[in-house]
Amino acid sequence: MEVNPLSIILVKAGSKGDRLLFRYPYHEQENNEPSGTKRKNPYALSVAEDLLQSPLPPISNINKGGLTGISDELLSSLFAVKQELCNQKFELKVNDVRFVGHPTSLKNKSQDESGLLLIHIVFALQALASHSVVKCYHDLSKRLGIVLRHEEHRCAYISEQTFSMVSIHDDSCTGNLQTESVFRKILEKCTLAKNIKQVYDDLCNTGIVNIRINRWIPLSFCLPQKVHQWHLRGKILEPEDIDRCLKALRPYHSLLLLYPVQQLYDFTSLDGSPSLLRMFSQYSPLKSLQTLAIDSDITLSHVFELTAHLVYWAKATVIYPICSTNKYAITPDAPLHLNSTLINKFAEAFPGVDLIKEINDFSLPTSLSQKCNSLYHTSQQSQLVQMIIWMLQHHLLVQLHMYIQYIPTDHGLMYSNADETKNIPAAQTLQNNGILSSRTFSATPSRQSRTHSESDASIISDIFEPRPDSELGSAAMNSSLANVSFSSADEEKQDYQELLLDFPDDERTAIFKIPASNNSEDLNLFARLCRNGYFRGEHHVEEIMYLENLRRSQLLQLLDKFRDVLITYETEDPAIAMFY
Amino acid sequence: MMKEDEDHCEGIPLDVSEAVAAVADDLLLENHLITSLSKHKQDCPIRCIFLCEFHHTAGPIITCQVPENFISKELFDSVSVYIITKPELLRSTITVTLIDYKILGCPVRINDKKYARNAFYFNLCFVCDSTSRTVHYEPLVTKLSDYLMALEIENNFLSEGSAPAKLIPLLKQVLEDLNNKGECALIGGPTATHLKVVRVRSDPPLVADHQVPIFLKAVPTREWDLTTQQVAPYIDGFNHVARIAALADVENNLVKACVQNLVYYRVVALVPLFQYSNVYCPTSKLKLLAQDFELQNKCTQYVAKSSRQLPNIRDVFRMYAAMTRGTTIRDLCTRFNPSYLNVNERKLVQFGILEELIKRVNKYPVYMGDNAELQKSFSGASSLDEICCAAGINAQQLEDHLERDHSIILLWK
Repeated sequence: MEVNPLSIILVKAGSKGDRLLFRYPYHEQENNEPSGTKRKNPYALSVAEDLLQSPLPPISNINKGGLTGISDELLSSLFAVKQELCNQKFELKVNDVRFVGHPTSLKNKSQDESGLLLIHIVFALQALASHSVVKCYHDLSKRLGIVLRHEEHRCAYISEQTFSMVSIHDDSCTGNLQTESVFRKILEKCTLAKNIKQVYDDLCNTGIVNIRINRWIPLSFCLPQKVHQWHLRGKILEPEDIDRCLKALRPYHSLLLLYPVQQLYDFTSLDGSPSLLRMFSQYSPLKSLQTLAIDSDITLSHVFELTAHLVYWAKATVIYPICSTNKYAITPDAPLHLNSTLINKFAEAFPGVDLIKEINDFSLPTSLSQKCNSLYHTSQQSQLVQMIIWMLQHHLLVQLHMYIQYIPTDHGLMYSNADETKNIPAAQTLQNNGILSSRTFSATPSRQSRTHSESDASIISDIFEPRPDSELGSAAMNSSLANVSFSSADEEKQDYQELLLDFPDDERTAIFKIPASNNSEDLNLFARLCRNGYFRGEHHVEEIMYLENLRRSQLLQLLDKFRDVLITYETEDPAIAMFY
Repeated sequence: MMKEDEDHCEGIPLDVSEAVAAVADDLLLENHLITSLSKHKQDCPIRCIFLCEFHHTAGPIITCQVPENFISKELFDSVSVYIITKPELLRSTITVTLIDYKILGCPVRINDKKYARNAFYFNLCFVCDSTSRTVHYEPLVTKLSDYLMALEIENNFLSEGSAPAKLIPLLKQVLEDLNNKGECALIGGPTATHLKVVRVRSDPPLVADHQVPIFLKAVPTREWDLTTQQVAPYIDGFNHVARIAALADVENNLVKACVQNLVYYRVVALVPLFQYSNVYCPTSKLKLLAQDFELQNKCTQYVAKSSRQLPNIRDVFRMYAAMTRGTTIRDLCTRFNPSYLNVNERKLVQFGILEELIKRVNKYPVYMGDNAELQKSFSGASSLDEICCAAGINAQQLEDHLERDHSIILLWK
């Protein structure tokens, strides 16, 4: 696992020179490798000219997940940096080990007698560690440094700790102690060494550090690349992924806590945000974030922030709220096999139910309403919901959404002009609509903009010449047309065409081949949704319903009526897909 | 670059506007060169190369650098401890990251009585931007130091007084060639060396019997090793690894190693075996097919039954959209009649997989009874494909058989 630290090293520099005070783990790794593999062939000729041709094997400083081959004196001389490099990021790569830290200057304006200049906590990582991992470790080292500096200035904590560590080191020189026992002794006596051990163990086990330095200042830290691994087996979730997810967060999404609420009360510290507690008290996975915000009387943006926090700390994930129309399928890498620990875990949570049999219903995408037929009692239904929540918490289910793609002709879309017109946001259209609908004009002149035979073009028709970028004309006409009564069906059809003035000609003819285009309501809705860019595979049905305030049946009927130009497909929501 | 331009202007008396134009022309030419060589262009360019040594009285100093004065003396002094290091770190590759730059080097010592301190310490360092990845330059730094070491041992190339004069053109050549071409040959003088930037990629996953390799680009077959030359003709995007091994008469593990190697170099991609009973589902990338005009062209060319008559993109999109969990390719073919639409369904699936527009839905049989033997083979850990390939059975037969057995659950995921 490349995110675990190899070692944590504490170095100080002072007027008496630099010194490595403590490192953890300090156990010397024994080299048990069979030496035979390294033995040279005794019959091989050593050719002097080969010296340059056969490169030496790369030197490795990692042995079984620990740092090796660099002496303590060397480490201390490397990490006791010059003053110019103090209080900034320190990153040094030696062979296949990357050292990350933040040397913190302890120089005080009032010169203290201890002569301490800087303290530096360095994390040794595998060189493969990604930029974001390095960044997180640097952050941790920086925060440790800040805390230590504060404690030094408050009560000379570092002076005291370094003094006892140095004296143990010095005693060992006279008493001929092994390095290992020296460090063991330091660990017994010094609280700072204990803290470092705690940090190392926490980072390797959970990725969440929660310590109290000098029994006074709490320090909590989360290594997202590690902490998300318990529920996302082996997948490394980068902070950028989480950021991307949070940017895509919408009010209709919902929070799914991964732990019982009771446990999360413990997670919030004493000085934690009271709004977090208030949100927990109103929490339900069936509520959307918007409802949650209203119920707990917090602003929506603050709920988003709290969600972001919980997601980053791997206490929650984001889902679409559980409702009867949701369709679920099994996640591709779900660990569903007979030896999986999840099977027993599920059996404990739901006695008498078998995970494999239960989840098999989702082999084909199934919605809750399909599953809850009349045979189900209410008690069974609630158990079903509980089971689905459990499966979602363990990332066994993925929700499928319906996406819609508008392809009017055989050649796909004409992007030369379609792009500009459709990118105009909905709000703007509405605004224009509102302004222009107050004007009155007749519908007839604009018709002749296409039928060129009529030459008596009026001034108004010139104004409303269909331009690819004029959404104003058609939008305005939509509203004015609604009040006009028509005499003949043929004329009616002509007038509907005004709805689609901004569509290219061949797209328009394709749309008018559809029988439903004779219905002004349908055509109106279709044109509106299309203009707002909902049919480009970027929005799923639920999102369109939310944004346009439509009922599902309305939308599905429309999709069915215009199925010749609208192609639907089902896939997962990419905004929250990284959690599956 | 800018330095050179200034020299030009000084040499030929020009009016200022002309001089500016000349510089602009040069820049244009440079840009043109960059674009024409873009496939060799490194995304993490080397900004500077310098050589430093341990002077017997002055301590660590920069002997020469290209371009000049790139690394200031103050900056160098603050990090010199990581460049001219303690003896323990000799011949280690060391990278130190500063706020703006990354410096990577490989400290070297030559022991000889002729030197003032009985030893000559030097380090050849590359400087890159602090945000760039530099792992792929490490072998180059080591090799170049080896080369300089050889030159020094041969004829005191570095330690004699006129070193910078000879070294600067050499370093300049290395810098420019590596940045522009990704390789550099240093010939002339008593020894020669060749440098090439090789991207370090993560190890490719193990190749399984049932996977199908498919070429991503045309490759001259001559350049490969013998196994690859023998295997390559059978990589057609439809044969799976075990079959290729049989057809090419090459041992199975050798084929796997060979395919894995090709995957590493991104010459070959692995796709699932095509069967009419396979099930696929669209991914969220399918929308790109409707939006990306280039992808559309590529797609219709690729999936066409014959190159003379291309299918239309709407039909292709409709077919991808119709791939749902539960719809086999056979169902799809009966519904759409792909040959009538000028679509080759095998190619359709291949393109979808390669561009990640669709993904395979695998079936995992799980045995719920008590038979230990069956529990082992149908544990849910291996897919139907793997089981079929291992046992050498027809997938359809096995599936029919499994469906009749009520103690077996088929999970689709």
